[in-house]
Amino acid sequence: MKAHVFAAGALFALGTNAALAHITLETQEAAVGSTYRAVLRVPHGCEGKATTSVRVQIPEGVISVKPMPKPGWTLQTKKGRYEKSYQLYGETLTTGVKEVDWSGGNLPDEFYDEFVFRASLAADLPAGQMLYFPVVQECGDAADRWVEIPAAGQDEDALENPAPGIKLLPKK
Amino acid sequence: MNAATFPTRPNGIRVRPATGGLVAALMLMVLVLPGRAFAHAALVAADPADGTVLVQSPAHFSLTFSEPVSPLVLTLVRPDGTRLALTSFRLTDRSVEIDNPETLKSGTHVLSWRVISEDGHPVGGSALFSIGAPSVAPFAGETVDWSLRTAIWIGKLLLYAGLFLGVGGAFSLVWLAEYRRCGRRFVVGAVLFGLVAASVSLGLQGLDALGAPLARFAAPAVWETALETSFGWTVLIALSSLGLALLSLAGPRVPRKLVALAGLVGVGAALAASGHASAAEPQWLTRPLVFLHATAIAFWAGALAPLGLALRYQPAEAKIFLRRFSRAILPVVAVLAASGIVLAIVQVQTPAALINTAYGRLLLLKLALLLFLFTLASVNRWTLTAPAEAGDTEVQRRLVRSIGIETLIVLAIFGVAAGWRFTPPPRALAIAAAQPASIHIHTLQAMADLSITPGHAGQVAASMVIMTGDFGPLDAKQVTLVLSKPDSGIEPIKRPATKPGDGTWRVDNLVIPLSGRWNARLDILVSDFEMVKIEAPIDIRAD
Repeated sequence: MKAHVFAAGALFALGTNAALAHITLETQEAAVGSTYRAVLRVPHGCEGKATTSVRVQIPEGVISVKPMPKPGWTLQTKKGRYEKSYQLYGETLTTGVKEVDWSGGNLPDEFYDEFVFRASLAADLPAGQMLYFPVVQECGDAADRWVEIPAAGQDEDALENPAPGIKLLPKK
Repeated sequence: MNAATFPTRPNGIRVRPATGGLVAALMLMVLVLPGRAFAHAALVAADPADGTVLVQSPAHFSLTFSEPVSPLVLTLVRPDGTRLALTSFRLTDRSVEIDNPETLKSGTHVLSWRVISEDGHPVGGSALFSIGAPSVAPFAGETVDWSLRTAIWIGKLLLYAGLFLGVGGAFSLVWLAEYRRCGRRFVVGAVLFGLVAASVSLGLQGLDALGAPLARFAAPAVWETALETSFGWTVLIALSSLGLALLSLAGPRVPRKLVALAGLVGVGAALAASGHASAAEPQWLTRPLVFLHATAIAFWAGALAPLGLALRYQPAEAKIFLRRFSRAILPVVAVLAASGIVLAIVQVQTPAALINTAYGRLLLLKLALLLFLFTLASVNRWTLTAPAEAGDTEVQRRLVRSIGIETLIVLAIFGVAAGWRFTPPPRALAIAAAQPASIHIHTLQAMADLSITPGHAGQVAASMVIMTGDFGPLDAKQVTLVLSKPDSGIEPIKRPATKPGDGTWRVDNLVIPLSGRWNARLDILVSDFEMVKIEAPIDIRAD
């Protein structure tokens, strides 16, 4: 038992170690056809500079997005047409939020904050695969782009600026 | 060279207008000859690049050079050492596209190439690549054939002797000497030597061009190849010039001077038609300078032997010869020295190259010999000539001895100059060193041409052209160049590129600390949320 705890702890330590430097999602798996509460964790600024905006691109199949406002930040969304139409609670959705921007804030490098939105994962998303939410973190003139998506067979740890992602689980 | 420099005989025909026209025509010919000419060609890129490991046999190879070339020999050496001649190729601008006639088996292959550039000098090299996995590299055999080199050097030396002593000698006999018997046999001998040397040199040039051994001297392909190089022009003009010299000595009396002058001008034209100095930029300057330099040498060196022999055997008749020669020699030497100095500056560029390069060291040796020669010549001109003309027999004997030594030094100088055949001038070395290292990266999402200039370690600039994977325009928002050398323990060098507005991306003031194989990665921001990273190895030269 002790060994298991130790192993889990080691795994946790190693796992978070790599993730500490990156923008990640708090919940890293979700079932297709469910509602997902995305918490973007911003652990630091861009090379020491304070974060002034966080923008996240909503991938196809993530619908009915509702971001959570943050005091001190201006919240905006960009809407657009989905590639196809989705059924949600008997309604047909063809357009929706494609990008969420929190801007005009000031998050110093030494502080941590979270940015939250809620969305529905379409039932026809491919379970078993990863779904990525590319994020651009801006710090005044500088920017870190967490937009890299691993190619097939590529190790995510090899990427310098990986996009935060979740693993899609089968529909419950 | 002005015909008015020499006193014409009272009964001589009026040759000046015709002579002027002939000189002008030959000068024009020299200027127009083989159109564009640059330095030695240097390989800029090979596909497959040197050291590449390919998954499967390529259908084509391609070689890109720093200037247009024509291939002489293209060979693929298989892993087992057997050779395959590559005969099917196409030329597009500076590239040679070569068809691969067979499916290559796995292992390391050598693509060996030998091409010729406009200066008429063949250059060769090879690129190694592997199919599947590298094996022990086969021996490509790019070694120096010393017997061929020696033969080329001797051929060149005799050609110089024939042109300068023979044709120049004939000119001095016809224009300067009153009594033409003395030195005539020497001059005719030199011309005949020159005729043989010119013909043999052409064959040797063909052997060198094809990288063939001396044994294949008689093969027709060797001679055809040689005629296609710019040295072919040199030999053709030299042969006609030597023929004119013979004609001026043996032919009918009347057009003798004209024929001798045409021969002399031909010497300049022959040497201006090929060689390092003629191929240097700017062409409008170097070709006429080589022409003047060679013509002046022929005038000076050619007169030495007939003058010495005349003084020795016919002192009385030699006086007029000596007076005409000493009157004309100062402007001729001025032209010789001035053209030589300018050509040396064009070729050597920096004083350090005099010591650092084989070409520079040969030049120093030649300068030392020249210093000796000029000392002797000035003593002859300013202290011996006047008493010798006055008939002092003791001084005449000293003058004859001195002229004999001068002739030997002149031959030594020809020998040194013939050695330049094997040494690329510092100018060409500098051009080769300044060549960029270039790669082409092609992926499905994006492709890029990356050039690092100059392609060696130190202060460089990188230039990139970015396109989509299907050759379409890619208006990137941002491009970052990341250079890394994992085996050296150096942190990746990461530099954002700027857009100068000509469709390229640039990174200036980049310092590459080490030579060797680097990994170049381009981070291309296609849109706000889409970053494409493409990478490939790039070889950075040591110097």
